[in-house]
Order: sequence, then C-alpha cells, then structure tokens
Amino acid sequence: MQTDRRQFLVSVAQAGAAISVGSQLPWFWRQAMGSSPAPGGDKILVVLQLSGGNDGLNTVIPYRDEQYRKARPKLGIPAKDVLKINDDLGFHPAARGLANLLESRRLAIVQGVGYPEPNRSHFESMDIWHTCLRKGGPRTTGWLGRGFDAAVAVRPTDTIGIHLGEGKQPLALSAERARIPSLSSPDKFRLQGKADEVAGALRALASSPASSDDLLGYLQTSTQSALAASERITAALRDYHTPVAYPDHALGAKFKTVAQLITAQLDTRVFYLELDGFDTHSQQPAVHATLLQQASGAVEAFLDDMVHHQLADRVLVMCFSEFGRRVAENASEGTDHGAAAPMFLAGTQVKPGLLGAQPSLTDLDDGDLKFHTDFRQVYATVLQSWLGWDSRAVLGGEFNAVPAIDVT
Amino acid sequence: MSNKLAAVDPRWAWEPYVPTAEQPWNLRRAAHLYRRAGFGASPTELAAAVGQSPEQVVQLLVQGEADPAEEQRASDALAQTILATGNTRQLAAWWLYVMLRTRRPLIERMTLFWHGHFATSGEKVTDATTMLDQNRLLRKHALGNFRQLAQEISRDPAMLIYLDSVTNRKVHPNENYARELMELFCLGEGNYSEKDVQELARCFTGWEIRQNRFRFNRFQHDGGSKTILGKTDVFPDGAAIDWIVDQPQSHRFIAGKLFRALICDEPEPPAELLEPLAEVLRASNWDLAPVVERILGSQLFFSPYSVGRKVRSPVELVVGLLRSLEGSANTQQLSGDVLQVGQGLFYPPNVKGWDGGRAWINASSILNRANLAGRLLTDENTRFGGGKLGEYFARQGWDVPEKALSQLDELLLAAPLTEAARARLLQVAASVQDPHQSATALVTALASLPEFQLG
Repeated sequence: MQTDRRQFLVSVAQAGAAISVGSQLPWFWRQAMGSSPAPGGDKILVVLQLSGGNDGLNTVIPYRDEQYRKARPKLGIPAKDVLKINDDLGFHPAARGLANLLESRRLAIVQGVGYPEPNRSHFESMDIWHTCLRKGGPRTTGWLGRGFDAAVAVRPTDTIGIHLGEGKQPLALSAERARIPSLSSPDKFRLQGKADEVAGALRALASSPASSDDLLGYLQTSTQSALAASERITAALRDYHTPVAYPDHALGAKFKTVAQLITAQLDTRVFYLELDGFDTHSQQPAVHATLLQQASGAVEAFLDDMVHHQLADRVLVMCFSEFGRRVAENASEGTDHGAAAPMFLAGTQVKPGLLGAQPSLTDLDDGDLKFHTDFRQVYATVLQSWLGWDSRAVLGGEFNAVPAIDVT
Repeated sequence: MSNKLAAVDPRWAWEPYVPTAEQPWNLRRAAHLYRRAGFGASPTELAAAVGQSPEQVVQLLVQGEADPAEEQRASDALAQTILATGNTRQLAAWWLYVMLRTRRPLIERMTLFWHGHFATSGEKVTDATTMLDQNRLLRKHALGNFRQLAQEISRDPAMLIYLDSVTNRKVHPNENYARELMELFCLGEGNYSEKDVQELARCFTGWEIRQNRFRFNRFQHDGGSKTILGKTDVFPDGAAIDWIVDQPQSHRFIAGKLFRALICDEPEPPAELLEPLAEVLRASNWDLAPVVERILGSQLFFSPYSVGRKVRSPVELVVGLLRSLEGSANTQQLSGDVLQVGQGLFYPPNVKGWDGGRAWINASSILNRANLAGRLLTDENTRFGGGKLGEYFARQGWDVPEKALSQLDELLLAAPLTEAARARLLQVAASVQDPHQSATALVTALASLPEFQLG
C-alpha cells in the first residue's frame, strides 16, 4: 500500500449540526394512555425485525394444549423444557433472555397480532408491515419514514433514525425528505481518501444545488446527508464503556453499537435492526433455537446496559416478524408460512405480561392462527404513547392502542 | 424531473434506433450501450463501435465473440483451484476475473441477471462445486431459452437445496419452491392462489438429489391429480413447470424484469409499453436473444428515458471502471469490495435477489463506493493497459488534465459534467505534481461523484 495514503474525517461545518441534548419535540396527548413525557430527554424506539416469519407458536408455547402436540409431533417443545410464563404458556427454552426480561417486569407479550386477509409472501407481507398499505397504490414511504418526515420538518437533523445493517434499507424507514443512515459497522461510515482535495471536491460538489433529475438529485442529497451524518456518528462513538457482556455474535454487536449511539446523546429517535433466518421450512429445531437465543440474549444485554447507563426509562424495544407459521408441521421437520404471531415490547416502561388471548389452535384460518390484534394497533401505541408522534397521520387511520406501555 | 414512461408511445419505443442530430450515434451513446450490454468499453473499442452502425454493434454484442481457447483454459484452471479449496466465497473472485476478461460481456451480464432472478445463496448451499455448477447452468442458458432454463433450474441441485425441494415429501409437501416458482420466477405475486401453491407443491414431491445430481424418487412422489391455475391433470415430470411458464402473464413478467435490467430503474413501465416485448417472447417461443436484441437496439434504449437512468450496481462500478481503462486487478480484493457495498456474488441477500436501483445507495454504501474506487486505483496490483494509470494516460495522448477529463467524461458518464464539476476536478488534478498520482486523483475524484453512480 502506498505510504502517503492518509485517512481523514470529513468535517462538515453545518449550521445547526451540533448535537442536541434533552430537547423535546411537540407531541399529542392521548387520553387513552394517560401518559406524560418523562423528563430528561426524548424517548427512543429500537425496532428488531425478525425476518423470514418467526414461528410464534414455538416461541410462546401453549405447552399443555393437546392440539399443539397433535399438530407438532416432532417440533413440539416438551412441557418440561419450556420456561413457564403461567399454567398454559411458556417460552421456548432458548429464549432465556425473554424469560429473564419478563421476570424483571420488562417484557410485554402482545398475542395474536396480524392483519385482515393475511398475505403469506415474505415480500408482500413485510411490505405491509413496513408501509401499512396493501399492494395496489404506490408504496414509497414507510410508517417510520412518515414519522421522520414530520419530525424533521419541525427540527432538521441527519440522524432522526439509524439503520444498523448491510444492504437494503427496510422500506419502513423510507421517507420523502428525511434520509436515514445505514451503519453496517461504525468504522465503515467514513470517507477515506488519498488527499484532502478529493474529499473537499466531493463535499463541495455534493452541496451544490440538487439536480432537477430525480435519480441524480437523490444521489446528491444522499451524499450530502452521508457526509454530515458520518461526522456526527464518528464523534459519538469515541468514549463509551460498559460492564455488560454482550453476546458474541453480529446482532449482539449491533445492539452494542445502538447503546453507544444512545449514550452519545444524539437526537436519534428510532434505531432499526434485523435478524434474518426465520424462514424455517425444514430442519427447524436447531436453527430456530439459535435465532431465539441470539435475539433474546441481545435484547436482554442491551436493556441491562441501558440500566447501567441510567437511560433505561427512555428506551423501548419492539420485536416483530412479517408473519407466524402454520400450526401443523410439514414433513421436512419444519413449518410453512402462516399468519398471526406474538409481538414483544421490552423496557422498564412496559406493562409486563401477556396481552390478549392465545389464539385458538382449532378455530383456524386455513391451517393458520387467527389474529385478534391488528399490528397497526401496536404501532399506534408506540407512536402515540412512546414517540409522541401523530399516529393517525402516519398510519392513515385510527387504531386503538393496546395497554402495553405504562410510563411512570 | 421524474422519468415519465407513461408518455412513451409503445410503437415508437421498440422501433430500431435511428441516429439523428439530437440523438447522434457518438462515443457517449456507444459507451451507454456497452455499459448496459456489458461492463463498459475502452477508448479503442468505442472508437471502433462508432465506425459501425448501432445495429451492427448490437448484433455483435448479442452474438458475441468466443473467448480464445487459452482464456477458457485459464478461467477453468482458476475455477478448479478454487473448487479444490472448497471455499465457496472465493467463487466471486473467479467470476469477477471472467467478467474482466471475457469477449462476451453480454453473456456475463445476463448470467448475473439470472443469478439475481433465480437467486440461490452459498450461505445455505455451502458446497462450492454445487454453486459453480448452477452458475454454469445459468451461463449456458443466459441468452438461450427461458422455458428450458426454468426446467433445468428446477432440477438444479443448488436450487433444490436452497428452496427445500430436496426435503419435499409426499405426506407433507414443502411449499417453498412452488411458491417462489410462481411468485418470483414466472408470474409475480397476485397471479395465483394459496390453493395453487399447495397443489403445485405436490408436483415437486420426490424431487431429490443423489450424488450431487437430480434424482426422481417415485416413492416420495405424489402422482395423483392436481388442479393448478384452472387445469386438472397429473402433471408428470416437468409438465407443471411448462404450464406455469406458459401462463398469459409470464411473458410480460419476464419482459418487465428485462426492461428494468436494461432500460431504467424507475418507474415501473406501463403494461402497454411491455406488451410488444412480451409479444417478441411469445413469437420466439421463449428464446431470449431476440427480445434482448430488440431492447438494446431500440429508440427507447438510446433515448433520455434510458440513458443515465440506472444506478450502477457495485459490480458494474468496479468492472466498468476497470474495463473502460483496460484495467486488471486483484479480483479477490474486488470480491470483498463489492460485497462490502452490497453485492456479494453467489450470496444474494434473499430469494428475491438484489433489489437494485436506489437500493444500492444508502448513507454508508455511498461513502464506501467512493472509498472503493480510491482503494482500487491505488492498489499496487491494479494495472491499466498493463502499467500504471499515468502511463496509460500518456499512451492515450491525454497529456494534460483538461484533455484527460474530456475523454473520461465521454467514456464514463451518461451526461456531460457541469462546468462547476469540471473546474473542481481539474483543481484536484492540478493539486498533485506527479503525473501518475495526478491521474489517480482525477479518476478517484470522478468516480466518487454522484454522477458516476449512474450508468
């Protein structure tokens, strides 16, 4: 490698790019929840998407139900192995983190979540969860993206939301104006270069008036935003310490990065993470156990870290998947795409325990569990009672919140 | 302004491109053709192309020149070395090597297209030979016949493993392959029912692998009558695949995918615009070369609706930059580079392949694409015309930065640089004394621009 190659940070002196601490966005009081904003800073939502269709029935398990045993002779988890929640339901043994969170009163389980006329295509169903729209009309913005646009209109920022992941950004974050940085790892978020002039040219040209051409304009504003956000995030990551041992896998590392960014007091309101691999059509037991362990362990470590940093009251983790899986196992020791499944909300401000009944294993929708709670109700809860954003505008309608959040 | 495809006359769109004063057949247009039908072209190749008619050049690209026997041997030897290590991730380095050297770049483009279409990942199909065999299958049919490709990919061991057909048993059919065959490979979502998925799944029961090859296990096969998309039949062997492929929507579905790959990323083309292409596929009985030739030689292809209307994929970015300047590089490094900015060859993110278009661009990838260009240009293994970049510039007669920049502009960009951009880039080149380093700084800066991300 050439020895005169230098790395440098691009520093962008942008008016108003200073890190803001403790400021509040205006938000709308919702009678139903009776909650008020906590002092000391904005609330932060961390979304964990389980991609592929998590088998909810083997996550929160009706271990005494005969139908369960009948439908899943091979995949059924033995009653003696589940981590008991109550006399009827228990967690998959690998989901130790969830059990611990429930025990420390930091987990709410919303049962039977889905939507009318369930779609069993990964991409279509995920798009529905991301945009709250069905196929037909244009689906260019995501539910969070719409929230971001409203928020940055009030107070511009490059880091209203951050995506922790490689490759494609989830459609949920897609916005008309706000640009959301994607971090695969913090050190991949800097412009390197051989000479200051190269970066200088890029910076200067990227900030020139955006082209009227749609695609080029998008590239220009993306470049601008990337440069600005890069500067702020690199500064934020420099001084972080924790006694908590995060699990040693990619998701654990990502949650740790989220913790670092939160402790740095950026004005980020939403972090979005994904864990892939839940599409267990065959050989499910080992894969599902590993993934549940990873997800639950990472969330637990993260929330414990937030406690250590005295930020626990400001953080909420929401966990979902694009659909559950069929009640009956298939002949490949796996399960096929299904419908309703549980969602999880975790943090010190949740109302701990089970919300809603376990869907019936006999009254099915073509072999799948029936939903009773629309996912948009959970979104509405999080938008109104946690983020303080206008849920009606974001979701395109009124949805009754679920009593999962109990801000004190 | 956005790309108003709704305003396009479908008859005009697919007529052969005729050069005019406003849309002349020149270096920039020839470069556009080579970028989409291949990975770009060198100044010499472009000069030769401009000396022929656009029709001739398109024909040549579609028919392709065979690679010399020696090249073929070198490529096979490299593949063998990688297979011997059993390291599936290294296959990307082999493929990039092929892309850099081939005289049939359109075949490689189409192979890459099918790799994204019939997406299969080394993450699940861990054996390198199995993945390479699939790649060769895709290459064999890249500009061949789609119906035959669909039949053969359904029996391909890598695909059987990836979509769980290999554990599809009579008693409890596994629906994965049946669903994706209809949803992603042939028809598109919404053109079949859940019942069709369940019935089609029965057709694939007993499709297994024995000793790395397809084997039909009649004991596990459900040979009963099925009703799929309105037809009731036993559907023996691959009859169900033919039935799906020949559905009315399929020609337009595939035409739509080819449109997106070759014309523009957005918006989705109206049905009327795709219909003539679907017709070509019907008339050719699913032979792919005629429709690809039609697209590449068309008025629409050479119009502002298409030029500069695609975001370069990571592979196009690096292979394009190198081929345009007669470059060679360490393809192992390159494979890591393109993976980092979102395109791990042989490892598509999911069964939908890569989304492409704006999805290539996020706050992290956009900086890393610029970093990538910088790394590539300063790497000690990278060569241009066999030597350093400064020497290459000199041989091209690009003795001052102004000249170099004008040529690079035509060679690499869809639209001419603005005056402001030109001035800024020349400042960059002037800031460095040494001619080689000045050339490197100039090309690095150019490759970092938003404009360069469009291809």
